[in-house]
Amino acid sequence: MIAPAAAASEDLADALQRCAAGDQQALRQILDAEGGRLLGVAHRMLQRRDLAEEAVQDCMVQIWRKAHQFRAGDGSARGWIFAILRNRCLNVLRDGRRLESLAPTDLTAMQDARLQAAGAGLDALGDQVALKDCLHGLEPASRRAILLAYVGGFTHGEIAAIQSVPLGTAKSWIRRGLDLLRRCLS
Amino acid sequence: MTQDTLDARADAFVLGLLDDAQEAEAEAALIADATWAAAVARARDRLLPLDMTAEEHPGAEALWEGIRARLAASQPIPLPAPNPVPTAANSPRRPGRMLPSGIAAAIGILAGAVLGGSWFAPEPVVIAVLLDNAGAPTAVVEDYGGADARIRFVNGVEVPQDRQMQVWTLPSAEMGPISLGLLTGTGTADLDAPRLPEPADGQLYEITLEPRGGSPTGRPTGAILAKGLAARQEGI
Repeated sequence: MIAPAAAASEDLADALQRCAAGDQQALRQILDAEGGRLLGVAHRMLQRRDLAEEAVQDCMVQIWRKAHQFRAGDGSARGWIFAILRNRCLNVLRDGRRLESLAPTDLTAMQDARLQAAGAGLDALGDQVALKDCLHGLEPASRRAILLAYVGGFTHGEIAAIQSVPLGTAKSWIRRGLDLLRRCLS
Repeated sequence: MTQDTLDARADAFVLGLLDDAQEAEAEAALIADATWAAAVARARDRLLPLDMTAEEHPGAEALWEGIRARLAASQPIPLPAPNPVPTAANSPRRPGRMLPSGIAAAIGILAGAVLGGSWFAPEPVVIAVLLDNAGAPTAVVEDYGGADARIRFVNGVEVPQDRQMQVWTLPSAEMGPISLGLLTGTGTADLDAPRLPEPADGQLYEITLEPRGGSPTGRPTGAILAKGLAARQEGI
């Protein structure tokens, strides 16, 4: 019997193939299946509904354009789809002009909310997920830095500032943490 | 590159921790380098469970109409007819040609026979179609090798008053991004490129918005307006 998650992933891979062939209904199917979570991830990184919606829209258009690049043997369709979304979100965060229209207090609130969301990501991982144990096995500073980067979308520089350490230290915490994670998960 | 280095770089890429030039190179290599693409896919899947912890937000279906409206503009788009404005008398004219289908598919553009002309004129070594953030074609770079390259815009762009467009290419990771020159407008322009190694298939070209007068560091510092990968033209 195929586990539901695996079945869903096959459906997504199939939908990507149909997108590549020009079937708009397949893209609609991806939005229906993953849209709620895509919006959730975008909102967690951007903390604003309008920016999150824009990121998801951009993501769907990119999926449509790039569907032919997806190689099923390389990884999961879901991983590929969420990577596109994350990329859109990071673009918004890294593009200073996009955020400069926010009032300073809003910007501060946004950064605080991103910080908090990054901290909550680990607790929300299901107990059966190996990544959870592996993350718990890391030094707390390393673990936090990785979560700040992945869940919160913070840069090396921001992470160093948040953790009050020099840039080089933050970088090496992240790198060492990721090395250990790979070993733990392999 | 050892497997470990490759995996470490893939992790950094997936976390969004590479700098702009490295990121552009890593992104470009996804299409050309299967080993790299596989390492990135593994890194994505390792961390994907964290995305699954985000709370689902309702209302995504309401985005569909907006998305659908943008799809029409995102199909492979034939390039428009050549710029009707007369170019300089000595400007090279080139025979019609097609981009190789694999690469055209990879960048989502079918560059049609738009470059009519005589047989003996110089031919570009590579052509790169530069796409904006939303994937729409913005400009076409034709690089003839040596120090001879030209850019042609196929779509309007918005340049803030205090910014100027600068064109870059990435001949290799070691050389880093090299300026091909500043643009004063969106007309067809011959680029003031330095002498570089012969342009290669898959080489990155991009336009960034820099302070007027050009990047103060000699490397791209501003937002990327459009970027694309070169398709080699020989034997087509």
